[in-house]
Amino acid sequence: MMKGRMDKKTAFSVGRISAAVLSLLLLLSCPALPLGAQSRFPRPDFESGYQYPELSYAVPSETVWGWIDVSVLLLLLCVMTWAVHRKRTRTPIIISSALSVGYFGFFRGGCVCSIGSVQNVALALVDPGYHLPIYVLLFFLLPLVFALFFGRVFCGGVCPFGALQDLVNVKNLRISRPLAKALGVIPWIYLSFTLIYALTRSQFLICRFDPFIGIFRLGGDFGLIVFGVALLILAVFTGRPFCRFLCPYGALLSLVSAVSVKKITITPHKCVNCQLCHSSCPVDALRPPYGNTGREESRTSSVGRVLLYALLIPLLTVGCAFLLRSWAPQMSLANKEVHLLKLVTYSEQHPDGTPTPEVEAFYAQGRTKEELQRSVDKVHSDFRLYGFWGGALIGLVIGLTLLSLTTRRKRPDYEIAQRECVACGRCFRYCPQNMAAAAKPVGSASVPSSTDTSSTPESPSQSI
Amino acid sequence: MKKDIFRNIAIVTAIFMITLSTMLLVNYLEVRNVTPLQSEIASTLKTLNESGAASSSPDLAEQIRELDLLARKAYFVREGHLKAGVYILLAMAGILTLCLRFYFEGTRTLPEEDIAPLDEWLLHSKSRSYVLGLVGALAVVAIVLGFLSGKYYSPGKAVDGVPDTSLISDLPPTGGTVGGKYDEDPEDAPDTLEDGDVDNEEVKDKNEEEGGAKEENASSDSKEAGGEESGEKEEVSYSKVTSNAFRGNTSNGQSSARGIPTAWDLQSGKNILWKIPTPKPGFNSPLINGRRVFFTGADDSERVLYCVDINTGEELWHLSATDIPLSPSVMPAVNPDTGLAASSAATNGKAVAAAFATGDIICADMEGNRLWARNLGVPDNHYGFASSLLTYGDLLFVQYDNDSSPKVMALSMTNGATVWTKERRELATWSSPTLATVGGKAQLLVMGNPHVCALDPLTGETLWSVDCMSGEVGASPCISSSGTVFAASENAKMVAIDPSSGEVLWEGNDYLPEIASPAATKDLVYIATSYGCIAAYSTSTGELIKDHDLGGQFYASPVIVEGKVYMANTDGKVYIFSAGEGFPLIGSIDTGEATFATPAFTDGKIVIRSNDHIYCVSAAQ
Repeated sequence: MMKGRMDKKTAFSVGRISAAVLSLLLLLSCPALPLGAQSRFPRPDFESGYQYPELSYAVPSETVWGWIDVSVLLLLLCVMTWAVHRKRTRTPIIISSALSVGYFGFFRGGCVCSIGSVQNVALALVDPGYHLPIYVLLFFLLPLVFALFFGRVFCGGVCPFGALQDLVNVKNLRISRPLAKALGVIPWIYLSFTLIYALTRSQFLICRFDPFIGIFRLGGDFGLIVFGVALLILAVFTGRPFCRFLCPYGALLSLVSAVSVKKITITPHKCVNCQLCHSSCPVDALRPPYGNTGREESRTSSVGRVLLYALLIPLLTVGCAFLLRSWAPQMSLANKEVHLLKLVTYSEQHPDGTPTPEVEAFYAQGRTKEELQRSVDKVHSDFRLYGFWGGALIGLVIGLTLLSLTTRRKRPDYEIAQRECVACGRCFRYCPQNMAAAAKPVGSASVPSSTDTSSTPESPSQSI
Repeated sequence: MKKDIFRNIAIVTAIFMITLSTMLLVNYLEVRNVTPLQSEIASTLKTLNESGAASSSPDLAEQIRELDLLARKAYFVREGHLKAGVYILLAMAGILTLCLRFYFEGTRTLPEEDIAPLDEWLLHSKSRSYVLGLVGALAVVAIVLGFLSGKYYSPGKAVDGVPDTSLISDLPPTGGTVGGKYDEDPEDAPDTLEDGDVDNEEVKDKNEEEGGAKEENASSDSKEAGGEESGEKEEVSYSKVTSNAFRGNTSNGQSSARGIPTAWDLQSGKNILWKIPTPKPGFNSPLINGRRVFFTGADDSERVLYCVDINTGEELWHLSATDIPLSPSVMPAVNPDTGLAASSAATNGKAVAAAFATGDIICADMEGNRLWARNLGVPDNHYGFASSLLTYGDLLFVQYDNDSSPKVMALSMTNGATVWTKERRELATWSSPTLATVGGKAQLLVMGNPHVCALDPLTGETLWSVDCMSGEVGASPCISSSGTVFAASENAKMVAIDPSSGEVLWEGNDYLPEIASPAATKDLVYIATSYGCIAAYSTSTGELIKDHDLGGQFYASPVIVEGKVYMANTDGKVYIFSAGEGFPLIGSIDTGEATFATPAFTDGKIVIRSNDHIYCVSAAQ
């Protein structure tokens, strides 16, 4: 039995407190309440001919704030890189997380965010009339560039969504790896749909279904706030459910970080396979040593399986592409022009009904149904095109995921799966080698080597 | 010891948060239900204000302001509390999280025993199954959602709360499209029958064939009826084809009802579902909406809106126009041929409104609960106010024509507030507005003297205007299925107008109506005169196609339904013509009761108001 585990009494208290956390986080949805109430209250209803003065608004200094945001982003990325690669300590990561939640989250209301910037960039690619601010482009590019060089340091303590989940994480219940692997496909599917809807100028799905924005802004769609709170509750017990199983930008970062120049490591020194870090990772990105001797299989059989799944890739890609293309009419229902055509048609067929504000606006603009129909035809065409490519992306990801599950590789030591590691730094304090390195300069002769296990602490709980 | 402190703080914080959250929730629910500006007292004060009393009573205006200020103050104070509470809650959540983190500090999750050797093959194999399973599940979900979304957006389904009030649009054509099946092609109508020998069997057969579809489309009232009668009676279904205003839903003299009886006998009771005496006099036409039939009546003592059951004639409720600020205590002098209740009521399926010659307008929900009432001022009208009401969504149109301040108004059916007012430079008329759709856009067609014009129903803006009327204008306009507007009045002329431009297409003056309004199909426009003649003109050329001299007087307007034209004269004779080529008479019924009001139609039923009775003719009898 390992030392440092909780006794029964403590476990009971933890259970009670966890239950309290559960119920209290549910009640955090209360921030949604004021906003919902506010919108129902009309402005003064003068019916005596009173003329309202014209409203004037101060010109927002969004550009200035945009550049401040970029500066903060860059600063925190640098801090994270320093903390993860140089210091290998979690304290600056926690500070960065708190700053990120405070500044990007509550102060800036979660916008601009790198996750949502995917849509802006996608839209700018197809719509020359759409102005893409430079700072939004930087929000999209900077985390990717840092991921290319240093791994997912953005996820670690710069992204307010990830940071919020990380700050509330208390327990680390592990999700079975096969299930996590399967759920890992979802961000790619989400990314595909996000791109389809952005490229067809229909909706910004990420913004619309952002689960944390309501919490940051203390109000918003009640259902989404409940969803966000549910994610936070999950995050209390398991690491970053949103980042791992939903975040579309995280999917991109994981792709880039797989080929990052400087890999994230727990310690600069030789792993002593003490196994202390085994359960430390909240996102299960630590891979234990593997000798590749578990099951012997003929080489022919292995190669056959690899070939089978390799052949499946084009089939899945083309199949998904055509499948999503065929769903274009259903998907396009979320487009405002398609929806408007439905409303106008319905309104014409049912003149006794109350015309919706959209229909009133349509007629007030002097638009014709024929013109609207042409616009809708174009939308359908776009959905078919981008639906095809979006489906192809989904099929490709599924195919590659399956293919990756047919290969095997030896690992002599504990390794970090770079694609999955979110650079939260929790493992740093578990590693005796790293702790020793932190105590003494790198390169000191007194740091234990893999063969010198005498300095490994007898009691892990005492060592951390 | 240190851990105990953090644990205790966490517990206290948690209890505090639960308490605070409960209080916030209660506060939120209270604020959510507060609608200070729609309270009964506020509504009454606003009604008084709108009726003009405020200008003469500064105290009232001051009272309204105080109430308004108080309501807003209370609302924002509560909202402020709510917001402050949320901030405190967030701070507490932060403290709780910190305490929990400190509490768990040092109790890291470490492997409990020697880690079992990893069987990565097994993991990979399992992972592949999971990935394929998830992808399959997602595909199934997507397909199901695709089907559901398609169903949700199907044209037959109400979108965003838009009520589905009829099976087939009763709205006049959209730039040449056709409202009703038989309007488009009269040949599709049931075969014509011998004069005076109207057989119902064929129509019955058709109804039986269509029975399944009809049941599917039964209105929500069917559930209501079933629920109310709690199983004692069989569930009764009601047609969705409504007649929500004078001359149908859009006051255009058309109905999409099917299975309309072509024979009945008021004396023997043949095909008469029910017959009740008119409780109070009135020349207004009945309305039909689901199970409800609405009509009004008035005498010197009381002005009443009635609602009866379409299947039994039993009164469901009635509502008196009482306690209306500024309503005159003495009835205005009106012509006996007009009376105090000449205006037909109107409903939008959620509420029903009625107008009287006193200038009173009352509005009730479908259960007879009064929603609002206001007095527009007694109209300066030497015959008496006779213009019928018309609804368009939440808007209620009142053609408030009189000699001193003629205007068209749009009121909110919800609260009676004036949405827009269009002042007119016209002489008094007794005509009613009509709704049409031209080029996809709705137009409110309004007769005037001397102008016939079209208004934007949403804003009251004049879309076009034609100077063509004179004398005393009583008939209302109509629009043909081919998209031509017709306006006619005795002592003036008949004018065909292109509603997209306001251009006059042709004029005629062979037969002109005095009170009955014209109705038109794609090819023919029908005129019923007050000297007993009826005529059909070509809609495109104005050529007189056929005329019939039937005697009596036509005050009730013709209605085109199921490929036939129904007309009732003041002698109580109802004539049924084919709306097809040649305009032949296919039947007539002598009811024996003078009829001034235009009948209302729904599937299989006609509700007719005679001088003494209101009765329902049903094909099922």
